[in-house]
Amino acid sequence: MNNIMTARDLCLWYGQAQALKNINMDIAENSITALIGPSGCGKSTFLKTLNRMNDLVPGVKITGQVCYREEDIYDKNVDVNQLRREVGMVFQKPNPFPMSIYDNIAYGPRTHGIRKRGELDEIVEQALRDAAIWDEVKDRLKKNALGLSGGQQQRLCIARALAVKPSVLLMDEPTSALDPISTSRIEELAMGLKDRYTIVIVTHNMQQALRISDNTAFFLLGELVEYGDTQTMFDQPADKRTEAYITGRFG
Amino acid sequence: MKKTIALVLTVLMTLSVLSACGSNSAPAATQAPAAAPAEAAAEAPALSGSVSTDGSTSMEKVIGALGEAYEQKTGVTVTYNPTGSGSGIKAVGEGRCDIGLSSRALKDEEKASGLTQTILAYDGIAIIVNPANPINDLSLEQIAKVYTGEITNWSELGGDDAEIVLIGREAGSGTRDGFESITGTTDACQYRQELTSTGDVITTVAQNPNAIGYASLASVKDTVKALAVEGVTPSEETVKDGSYLVQRPFVLVTKEGVELSAAAQDFFNYITSTEANEIIAGAGVVSAN
Amino acid sequence: MERAGIAPRPFRKGDNMAKKKQLVENLVHGLFLLLGLITVGCVLLITLYLVVSGIPAIREIGLADFLFGRRWASTAAEPAYGILPFILTSIYGTAGAILIGVPLGFLCAVYLAKMAQPGIRNIMESAVSLLAGIPSVVYGLVGMLVLVPGIRRLFHVPDGASLLAAILVLAVMILPSIIKVSITALEAVPREYEEASLALGATPVETWFRVSVPAAKSGIAAAVVLGVGRAIGETMAVMMVSGNAPNMPDLFQSVRFLTTAVASEMAYSAGLQQQALFSIALVLFLFIMLINAALKAFLKGSKEG
Repeated sequence: MNNIMTARDLCLWYGQAQALKNINMDIAENSITALIGPSGCGKSTFLKTLNRMNDLVPGVKITGQVCYREEDIYDKNVDVNQLRREVGMVFQKPNPFPMSIYDNIAYGPRTHGIRKRGELDEIVEQALRDAAIWDEVKDRLKKNALGLSGGQQQRLCIARALAVKPSVLLMDEPTSALDPISTSRIEELAMGLKDRYTIVIVTHNMQQALRISDNTAFFLLGELVEYGDTQTMFDQPADKRTEAYITGRFG
Repeated sequence: MKKTIALVLTVLMTLSVLSACGSNSAPAATQAPAAAPAEAAAEAPALSGSVSTDGSTSMEKVIGALGEAYEQKTGVTVTYNPTGSGSGIKAVGEGRCDIGLSSRALKDEEKASGLTQTILAYDGIAIIVNPANPINDLSLEQIAKVYTGEITNWSELGGDDAEIVLIGREAGSGTRDGFESITGTTDACQYRQELTSTGDVITTVAQNPNAIGYASLASVKDTVKALAVEGVTPSEETVKDGSYLVQRPFVLVTKEGVELSAAAQDFFNYITSTEANEIIAGAGVVSAN
Repeated sequence: MERAGIAPRPFRKGDNMAKKKQLVENLVHGLFLLLGLITVGCVLLITLYLVVSGIPAIREIGLADFLFGRRWASTAAEPAYGILPFILTSIYGTAGAILIGVPLGFLCAVYLAKMAQPGIRNIMESAVSLLAGIPSVVYGLVGMLVLVPGIRRLFHVPDGASLLAAILVLAVMILPSIIKVSITALEAVPREYEEASLALGATPVETWFRVSVPAAKSGIAAAVVLGVGRAIGETMAVMMVSGNAPNMPDLFQSVRFLTTAVASEMAYSAGLQQQALFSIALVLFLFIMLINAALKAFLKGSKEG
């Protein structure tokens, strides 16, 4: 398996404060990587460097390299919109557009030039099926997306991200705002998507990391403390700090 | 810093506005006459208080000069409300002012409702064009044809090849009434613009090289050119001797049976006496006294 | 068991202190109700007065002749009182002002809310506020001295005072309110929508026009309503630039609006002419109410959609 995304000596500053210190990480294709750590440790910040969403924050400075398919994404010749199409994102709080379900899913493809009704119909259906929500909404595609429940909205957002056919899907604490049943549905969904997509998921919930991820990265105060196979890391953490976090002594 | 700048600017602007406030004569009427809020005449014992006049915008200069002179003589203030002839007639009829001012003779029904007219002076109505216009005189017939739309281009009168732009006053204006009745174009004028004061007409004609308009002779300055009518240049003499045809009476309107206040009666006597002739002439109109 | 501190007091209404408080409560309620009623009363009074003053002329002239008659000659020997020219002029004038003012103001708002640097934004917002404070008569004066000759020279028409001049002046007058309300509406759109759009690979401009603007729709509609209200009621500025002849509306023709029709003839009017002017005022009033109702209904409909 090759590494679809890598980070080399990645440092990030918000103004004067350094949020990421020398991150080195390889993300393998078609795997699920979990990023864990206490609040403020930099895991969400790191996630956002992978699709350059940090660019939107004023005063951000980045050094080092992040490569997608072996090309530095911070190079000035990179088309950031194309990058974001290939590296999609799902946010912590479900944020469907105030439009119909159909228009939500079709938004991405339409932005990228697909106008034909037939094509869009296919894409919408496929995305909703991939997100395991097709059966629930197929009769109400024209209804406003904000009428769905929290869990449904989040699956809708996943479908919306999948509609542009990304290779990597970044998920920023996608289930922290949801009830347990919705949470387990989304975890199932993620595991089902693994064979076609690469997933990087930030999670506050260690059990979730244990349940679904292949590799886990433990962040603390902007540093990548430990990174490796999930099972190994949880059974025999190499670093003392990792052990302390996992056993719940802080966090 | 911002606040200081704002404060300084405000003070500067206030000062410049105040410096523009000039004499204490009646304010020039360049905006549309609103419904006349004429003041009621103060009941004056032994010539104190004020005299209120209301009406024709054309009479502004005359009444202004007379009022000023009267004030200097007796100390009584004369107020003037430029609301238009029709409104002035209404105002005196309703008792809202002492003396109404009209730049046309009273209609029969107005006389019948108990109003009396006293002719103060005769005002020439100048036919004005832009100073750049080569035309210098027209006949009454030509003027009528221009205003009814029969003649539409200055070239037909010997001028430039340009469409004639007809400026006039709004329906009900004394000046319009005077103009239309003398030229025989009542209800037939094809105005391009109907403005609500003599001042507006003059300003508009001064700005448009192809415009023609009519305005009280007293108000015309050198921003526009007054045409000769039937070869007669409008001036005080030609109005007086009647050779300048386009003229109308300036009328003082009072209500029959209503006694004027002492101050108002005194003012009335003053302005209709020969004592006032010089002032009336100074305002550019021909006294009837 | 006794509690330390405040001495226990019975909760009964008969208590003096409670009675006083209740009285004050009632008084204040009553006062506010009265103030509200005064406001409503004023509106009712005006409506009533307009109806009472406006109906007689309509009755005498005939509703159809009045509303659809094309000739207005109130002081002619054979008077005609058709106000269709005024109605159409007001409609066209307002529509024209909206057509120019809304896109201009709205795009300006998008620029100020999303794209402008803070320094530039401050300067431009101050300019907009200043524009909002300029009185109508100043607009009219500038229009008369600058715009009217300008139109005459630019379009080679005999006279620049026209519907076009009025539309331009009105458009500028409604800009500030449209800009301000639109900016508020745009800034109220949650950031999450924009983030989601960007994460899908849309450019910032695409995001603004495909997500932010539709989400701010009702605020922008409110801005349009404000603009329409101001445009249709404007008298002073329009009177100084539109020529005031009672013609059927045409872009370069001298025209008269419902508002200026009332203002220009009211001073000299008497008899049926005066009553007819009241009727025009009544029509104007009904117009404004109709437009407000229609826009409200439209807003409601789009919200539920």
